[in-house]
Amino acid sequence: MLDRKAKIKSVGDLGARNYLLTIAAVEQARLTLPGQFVMVKCATDVNQNPLLRRPFTVFDTHPNPRTGRPAGLDLLVRDVGAGTRRLTRMRPGDEVYILGPQGRPFRLPSDMRHRVRFACLVAGGVGIAALLLLARKLMALEVTPVLFYGGRGVEDLVLRDRFENLGIEALYTTEDGSHGDRGAVTQPLEKFLSRHARQGSRIYACGPWGMMKAVNELALRHQIPCEVSLEARMGCSLGACMGCVVRARDDSGEEQFLRVCQEGPIMDSRIIDWDTPPL
Amino acid sequence: MTKRDAPRPPRLAVEIAGVRFKNPVLTASGTFAYGVEFAHLMDLSSIGGIVVKGISMKPIKGNPPPRIYETASGMLNAIGWQNSGAVEFVTQKLPALKKIDTRIIVNVVGFSLDEYLEVTQFLNDCPGIAALELNISCPNVHRGGFHFNKNPRDAYQVTHAAKKASAHLPLWVKLSPNVTDIGEFAAACEDAGADALSLVNTLVGMAVDAETRRPRLRFVTGGLSGPAIKPIALRMVWEASRKVKIPVIGIGGIATASDALEFMIAGARAVQVGTANFYNPAASQQIALGIEEYCRRHHMEDINDLVGSLRI
Repeated sequence: MLDRKAKIKSVGDLGARNYLLTIAAVEQARLTLPGQFVMVKCATDVNQNPLLRRPFTVFDTHPNPRTGRPAGLDLLVRDVGAGTRRLTRMRPGDEVYILGPQGRPFRLPSDMRHRVRFACLVAGGVGIAALLLLARKLMALEVTPVLFYGGRGVEDLVLRDRFENLGIEALYTTEDGSHGDRGAVTQPLEKFLSRHARQGSRIYACGPWGMMKAVNELALRHQIPCEVSLEARMGCSLGACMGCVVRARDDSGEEQFLRVCQEGPIMDSRIIDWDTPPL
Repeated sequence: MTKRDAPRPPRLAVEIAGVRFKNPVLTASGTFAYGVEFAHLMDLSSIGGIVVKGISMKPIKGNPPPRIYETASGMLNAIGWQNSGAVEFVTQKLPALKKIDTRIIVNVVGFSLDEYLEVTQFLNDCPGIAALELNISCPNVHRGGFHFNKNPRDAYQVTHAAKKASAHLPLWVKLSPNVTDIGEFAAACEDAGADALSLVNTLVGMAVDAETRRPRLRFVTGGLSGPAIKPIALRMVWEASRKVKIPVIGIGGIATASDALEFMIAGARAVQVGTANFYNPAASQQIALGIEEYCRRHHMEDINDLVGSLRI
């Protein structure tokens, strides 16, 4: 984990307040594991407002087409407030402080293909950010990813071409029916699980709290291990301030507060108290 | 320039209640965990000391989230003293802390007078700790904490009892700014036997989400910290240091070397860096370096000459 000042290479407008930022942070890209995040200062001076850095999952590490080595960081940033507004208005050449990569990554044992046939990647809107590095790694481990991607409308289903280009089967849903099936993303997921669960599956989900709660219920019903990528307002991201906690239950049913920056952001969906959203 | 003419490096060491700190920069309780988390990002031996997050005798879970919210030039927190308890601290965390070449101060918390005394006594028997900082100023718990800092008499009582319980370790008392006259509290704690005072803790504040009409923090109110509180903290350090003879350690929005120097000029013997650690993990190291650079620039031989040197 490093703290570096890095240049912004591009700010791509994906529509509907979504942007893809590419940052020349090679050292940090090389250290990133699927599911990890970086903390970005949304101002050029470290003491400027807004003070606190913002956490962003690393969407991609730009593998060099020839060598395969990571060459930079791609972050999916949604303009939702003061920090992200500043960040998405920056220009190529601007420098930002980046701290990371950090956090608990997805658990991907090297021999998982013996136990797992399908990996169901479930994304809600910008939750897609957590799943590309994961998809590539799963394919390298000979596990077949299947993408279930939902949103309110087609404008929320950003960056889907990055998955389609990998040859991944994708099922889309939108609440307004503007793309894919009309309805919630859990519907095609449920259908898929009813057919394939027994062949060995895993679920990896990232999206709004309510979506992940529903996915967890499906996972429990079909007895499939499920990991989720959580979000929380963060202070230090280093495990010091205890600000970013989520309510969880341990094996004995005792309530604990776990840090999304250290014990997460990737967590076993079964331990989370889904009735108490942190944000 | 001959060796004889070359300027001597400025003396940066300060002494607080018989304990020598290599320089006046410490990190504040609740902002730096157990040091090791920051070890890759800065040189931990470059600062005078680390004040560890409030430790209670029994584990405390803390408040439900949301616990933090950023505000203009600062942030609100309502963590609620989450910690694993004194036994786990001493067995799991203290060994690694002791290896760092810097002073370790432990902040102590409790919901009642007895709880403060129990943890004070327990930690007194643990080698490797340079001093205890009594947290009677946290606004984020329903009992204890701040409730000993509403009335100078209560502050006196808890300080007096804790000082008796702290047979081997110097006792610092961390004061709340949520009072009308901080000088009164400073004097009361000095009379009760405090060896030093650290001020200030956070200011009580709140934030509201206009769309949902809900408070941004689950606890409703929280403690405000960061640059927004610096003018208040600075004023209180000045007021308190005029009322007492014991050392005052300044806290409140310190993010740069200049901030730290201002607190020392106003009367602080040392400073604690808190919120700045969150967005600039190496802040405390940069501040220590900046203080040294200031001394060179002003041909100051000893940083102690700066303490309380405000020109009025």
